[in-house]
Amino acid sequence: MNKNIIIVMIAAVFMLSSCGEDFLSPAPISSIGSETYYTNSTEIETGVVNMYDGIKGVNSTSSNDNHGIQVEFQVTEMRSDNTMTKSSEGEQAQFEQFAVQPTNGVVADYYRSFYNVIYRANVVLENLGAADNQADANQFEGEAKFVRAYAYFNLVRLFGPIPLTDKVIAPTDAATAYDRKSVDEVYQLIISDLLAAEAQLGATIDNAFVGRASTAAAQALLAKVYLTRGMYTEARAMCEKVMASGYSLEPNFDDVFYSERNNEIIFAIEYKGGNAATSQNFSAEWMNAVGRTSGINYVTPEATVALDNFGGTRSASYREDPGQAGKFQVTKYFPNGEDGGSNGITFSNDPTTAGNDWIILRYADVLLMHVESIMGTDPVTGDAAALASFQEVRDRAGLTTAVVGVTKQELMDERRVELAFENHRLFDLIRFGEAENVLSQFAADNGYLFSATDLLLPIPQREIGLSKGQMSQNPGY
Amino acid sequence: MKRINRFKNWGWLLGLVVLASSCQFELPEAGSLPDNTPPKAAFTTSPDQDDARLITFTNTSASATDFAWDFGDGNISIDKNPTNLYPAEGSYTVTLIASDKLGVTNTLTRDIEVVVPKFYQPVIYEAGFEDGMLEGGLGDGRDSWRAPSGCREDRPLGLGGVIQITGSPVFNGDQGAKLPNDNTRAGYQQVTVEPDTDYKLTFYYTMKDDNPAGTLTVAILGGPVCDPADVAGATIESVTVNDQSNPDAYVKQALEFNSGPNTAIVIYFTNQDIEARLDDFAIEVL
Repeated sequence: MNKNIIIVMIAAVFMLSSCGEDFLSPAPISSIGSETYYTNSTEIETGVVNMYDGIKGVNSTSSNDNHGIQVEFQVTEMRSDNTMTKSSEGEQAQFEQFAVQPTNGVVADYYRSFYNVIYRANVVLENLGAADNQADANQFEGEAKFVRAYAYFNLVRLFGPIPLTDKVIAPTDAATAYDRKSVDEVYQLIISDLLAAEAQLGATIDNAFVGRASTAAAQALLAKVYLTRGMYTEARAMCEKVMASGYSLEPNFDDVFYSERNNEIIFAIEYKGGNAATSQNFSAEWMNAVGRTSGINYVTPEATVALDNFGGTRSASYREDPGQAGKFQVTKYFPNGEDGGSNGITFSNDPTTAGNDWIILRYADVLLMHVESIMGTDPVTGDAAALASFQEVRDRAGLTTAVVGVTKQELMDERRVELAFENHRLFDLIRFGEAENVLSQFAADNGYLFSATDLLLPIPQREIGLSKGQMSQNPGY
Repeated sequence: MKRINRFKNWGWLLGLVVLASSCQFELPEAGSLPDNTPPKAAFTTSPDQDDARLITFTNTSASATDFAWDFGDGNISIDKNPTNLYPAEGSYTVTLIASDKLGVTNTLTRDIEVVVPKFYQPVIYEAGFEDGMLEGGLGDGRDSWRAPSGCREDRPLGLGGVIQITGSPVFNGDQGAKLPNDNTRAGYQQVTVEPDTDYKLTFYYTMKDDNPAGTLTVAILGGPVCDPADVAGATIESVTVNDQSNPDAYVKQALEFNSGPNTAIVIYFTNQDIEARLDDFAIEVL
């Protein structure tokens, strides 16, 4: 017994002494780690694609997967007066009722998904030195900074002050991971990233690459950031740069969504149907019990009224559920373009592996941002450039009466019907300073309890717990 | 054995006595935890859409259950998210005392500004008919006052030809507008306004004292018009004046109107049978 212990101790002493530098330094040859993987442009590009893959999210029904942008409508559109669950059930109903719990799984899903996207972007940025040439390095840097800014922009608008890092951090770096930086600091990084992206990305439009960042995408996103920050002059300049780069509205509104990679799309997340690895499931969730839920992102009666009154041809953005009278569905993202037949649930392809692209930035949004940037803080504008942009969007919807002036309310209504169910409404209301008014009224009409603290989501309880007291919760939760 | 047991029992009893006696002094200290999450008072404010003096307070306090508000205008509340109607614009000192059920309190005192938002001030270009008043020092004093060309072939001038510019007499500056007595000219300018808002348009005019007598009409149209036949239907308010007492003395005239559903109105003026002059248009929000 004692002898054995002595042998073990001696062996341990030898092992300790042999733990010199070269013990760990030989590169592993049987597997590739992120430390050693990136050695040339081709390999960095796989890291670039990986960022977009992070936004795209996993098509699964497991609560543990990162679903990325596939669940974004729940934390944005369903918290506005545009959509709701069909049956007011499950944790999804917390959104429409302004009763979100810090333990809500969808909130945690979105939070970790987009921090994972930021991580993926930071990995690319840390490996730019391995690029074959400077041109490649610039391109990858521009794309990574665009993606990082995009992720932070979504997070800061949803959660307020948030942890901020511009580099890959170790799992033990709790000081960074749970340190909520001020909104101003977050926007500083967003704006500097987007300016860098604008400078470094390719300027030519290539519709085959709307799934990747471009100069125009950076400019359009930057315009939105500037509007959010009240920097109207800068926003207008960015909008006008995009307007000079050759995009145009699709003549037929329906084609915006069902003729993919069209000339109106500035940036989209691309999906390919029929394969779980490349497809999305939100289209199915919006149908009647076709996906995992009984039906979510159903259209509110309030939104149907707005679309009927202000939409023109865009009133076709919703329909009455053929399987359930009195309930209304979004028609912009039917799974693979199939409307589900006479009962709304009959498909020839698997609706839960749909290939519809998710549009993040399109030209009509830019035109309306142009109007907004000219209007600034005024309640009305009669500026000719603003009217022209406004008219262009309305003409396409068949509303060709000449516009002689635009009020703030009219601009909000126009954005609501043009961009309905594309996850703009909540952010628009907040940006226009009307969220409290509109959502209090909506809540009162529907028997929900709204307070201004509901405009920010709770930090996921899991993060609060992991932070061991370092991270404070948003007020009201 | 027995002795030891007895000793043990005594010891146990002794320990209990010591514990009990020490409890009397130390129980509140040893048994209680510090309030690790004391209240922190915080709030945000937002004005009501229709009445900016009606402020909704949103409580953003942390770890608090009870609230006491002093709104700084004499009103108080113990609601979590109260509203308060302030008597007037101004700065008010609001105090929020947030407390938890342990009686720990935190007080925040902050000044808030109650500001009734300024209305949009409409702009009349070349309102005094002077040269060089447009962007970049351009403009001949009447460029902003041209009626759109006619939408009917038999009336190529639409509502009328462009106004003339006069150097004398003028009310202010070097130039004014002039309408000769041939009834062919009109002033026309589209102005951006807020819907459902009351405005007051003022201007100065004078007329010749010739015979026959004539009139000058200034109208507010509810949007662009190009056919004279549509003027009557589009008119929101108008005023017709005929003070011909002194051609050299300008008379001030006001015209009040409500913009109704329109975001653009048109100031339209024309004359009948008498040479008339106008100067210094102005518009204010009522």
